[in-house]
Amino acid sequence: MDIFKLDKTYDFVSKIPNAVKFSLLLIVISIGSIAYHGGPNWGVEFTGGTELQVKFPTGPEVKYIRESLEAQGYEAEAVQQFGLASDHEYLISFSPKVVSFDQIQDFKQKLNDVIATTPEYAGAQIQRIDYIGPKIGKELIQKAILSILLACVGILIYLVFRFELGFAIGAVIALFHDTIITLGAISIADKEFTLAIVAALLTVIGYSVNDTIVIFDRIRENMSKSLQKNFGTIVNEGVSQTLSRTILTGVTVFIVLIPLFFLGGAVIHDFAFTLIIGVLVGTYSSIFVASAFVVYWRKRKSAEDS
Amino acid sequence: MRKVSRGWVLTIVFISLMSLIFLAPTFAGDNLPSWWSKVFPSKGIRLGLDLKGGIFLLLGVQVNESVEVELNSINEIIKNDLTKSRALVKSSNINGSTLTLNFYSKDDLDKALTAANDNFSNVASISANDLSINIQLNSEYIKELKKNSLAQVKQVIENRIADFGLIEPSIQTTGNDRILVQVPGASQKDRERIVDLIRKTAVLEFKIVNAAGITEDIILQGQGVSSKDELAAKNLEIHPGETGNQNENFFLTEDIAKVTGESISDARISFDNFGRPAVLFRFKGEGAANFGDLTGENIGERLAIVLDGNVKSAPVVNDKITYEGTITGTFTPEEAKDLALVLRSGSLPVPVAVEQERSVGPSLGQDSIDSGRTSMIVGGILVLLFMAFFYRLQGIVADIALLLNMLFIMGFLSAFGVTLTLPGIAGLVLTLGMAVDGNIIIFERIKEELHIGKTPLAAIEAGYSRSLWTILDANITTLLTALILFWFGTGPIKGFAATLSIGIISTVFSNVIVARLITNYFYRDKEISTVSI
Repeated sequence: MDIFKLDKTYDFVSKIPNAVKFSLLLIVISIGSIAYHGGPNWGVEFTGGTELQVKFPTGPEVKYIRESLEAQGYEAEAVQQFGLASDHEYLISFSPKVVSFDQIQDFKQKLNDVIATTPEYAGAQIQRIDYIGPKIGKELIQKAILSILLACVGILIYLVFRFELGFAIGAVIALFHDTIITLGAISIADKEFTLAIVAALLTVIGYSVNDTIVIFDRIRENMSKSLQKNFGTIVNEGVSQTLSRTILTGVTVFIVLIPLFFLGGAVIHDFAFTLIIGVLVGTYSSIFVASAFVVYWRKRKSAEDS
Repeated sequence: MRKVSRGWVLTIVFISLMSLIFLAPTFAGDNLPSWWSKVFPSKGIRLGLDLKGGIFLLLGVQVNESVEVELNSINEIIKNDLTKSRALVKSSNINGSTLTLNFYSKDDLDKALTAANDNFSNVASISANDLSINIQLNSEYIKELKKNSLAQVKQVIENRIADFGLIEPSIQTTGNDRILVQVPGASQKDRERIVDLIRKTAVLEFKIVNAAGITEDIILQGQGVSSKDELAAKNLEIHPGETGNQNENFFLTEDIAKVTGESISDARISFDNFGRPAVLFRFKGEGAANFGDLTGENIGERLAIVLDGNVKSAPVVNDKITYEGTITGTFTPEEAKDLALVLRSGSLPVPVAVEQERSVGPSLGQDSIDSGRTSMIVGGILVLLFMAFFYRLQGIVADIALLLNMLFIMGFLSAFGVTLTLPGIAGLVLTLGMAVDGNIIIFERIKEELHIGKTPLAAIEAGYSRSLWTILDANITTLLTALILFWFGTGPIKGFAATLSIGIISTVFSNVIVARLITNYFYRDKEISTVSI
């Protein structure tokens, strides 16, 4: 079964100017959203603080939980429902400036007391407690940024070694493109930027470069076959020949991401969301950013040569 | 090309068998015969704390404090030495890694200088001017002090947790000043107790009570002084009281204890005359003699039992006591048990702060496992169906390779003892989707080769050989990001990176070797005119 005719060559190169505009628009929207929200919505791992996940047997109102916390002298930064409504799970978070580790220990005690004495809460359980000191948070932010940059540098070096410089730069530009737009989507969806999201972003980077390399490989192969051909034509042929694979692999990855998104539970939900956006953008960028840059790079080089 | 390489077949059968053996405990659980675990050491896939429930604590050990502790003890040693030779230190203070001693006379200074040079010249640089001596610890020695204090803290925490009786605790040092404690599968109550247990400095001191009062001011007035500093000059100190007596919120005692908990040999829970929980302790060797002296000289006085700066009880000394004593107070039985435990395990040499706590209840973990399993099964079936539908016979080849791939990945996970975490499960599901990429690359290539007129077998041959480097290039870069993630991550994220890395390696193997072999097997001895693709 074929989705595209095998010998048909689609003209991608002529669409590059529009693609560049489209990408720039997405990047502007992404950066705009991140700036509008005052930076990423850092999760508790990065800001430091405490997050408690409490499961109630019935669904008390968020306001009610808030009030009974305040009655104990604790003002939570956020009380929000977590996962599906039928789970009656809530996240209660505190920022570290308000609550120290000792206070959290005390709070845990009081929360247990409240659960024991409030009939509506009978049977409630503290399912998870995450406390992250401010020092750790800062270290993790540095490490997260460093790991993404390191991944890009590592990929750049490998690609310079295996391909030409222009290909390597194109792939890395595509990576930045994907990372920024995925971050933008997270920001627009108002999702928390957690460690799991960093893991998802690095996976997106891995996927995107994987996708790019398959196309580059074919372009390189075609270059050695037909030296006289116009470079734009070579790129068009390479992209067209690998188009079925690009789409099919995208589809199989999507097929597994959809159940993760809907069935994987609350933590995995955001992780899957990031990957879904990343896979879409990564597939697009392999053709319209990475390959497009190679066309530009070649053109500039041949202009310099002549 | 239709040869089915016997070597590879054997390799694949071997890896499959090993994977099954390593995985047996995961799926069969307790149904395995008892000899199994003796013959095969694997315990199956190890679940992370986020799946099994448990507690993860990152402790910051304040190793810098060990410098001050050391300088204080140097100060004590020199003072004691001088008392013997009838000399006097006017005052002393500590600034960073330097101890400064001030003297009234040149004569006293010379005696102190001799004492200092005799005892500490190998660990500190000692200089004198006018009427003061500076003792500055060497940087090498400071490094050693810090290292030792980290090791001591680790030892104490190990003792405490081992004593608590939990299964499979893991205690590691990370970096120069951190300790990572992971205890799987503890109940909420136990998790809370562990946190308290670890954080307790557990310095026990025995001090004779000077006075007790409702407020600090009353005690200060009683001494005719206006501030705590003036009290310190008189070698006195105020401790908060936790005896349960409302009239004695504060106690006045001497500042340095003659007897401390360091020489306790054993401690256990007992009950006082009213049947309330208490802690019984025993001294060993010199500690017993010192305690005997202290109580013998102070019959009729009150003895404060001070734990981490708070007076737990202050009984009247009726007799000389040498070997045992009891700490009473307002304990619950659990508190008394935990206090006995920390007294047995010794005190922390330097303070410890919790920098990160992650504590997960077992039910949450089970929910995660269930939803992870569901999404994996659904995703897996969809991919299998998609490949079979789209690529027909070759799709089924890819499906067989994918199933074997999953078996290998899980087998590797248990063989290498990689911890499976919640993001790790997500990584596995993702691998399901990405794993067939290699097959797709190859199959699309075969189609092209057929299209340009190659014979079926030549097309298959070309499809596999031409795609090899594409697959390798694409996966090496992905592996690179997974390894970086492994380096960067802690806990769950590390599990994800490990799962992803193993997945990538196993996938390349499945795409390039396993699928190829199965294809060859299908076409082993017939001349084919079409490829089902």
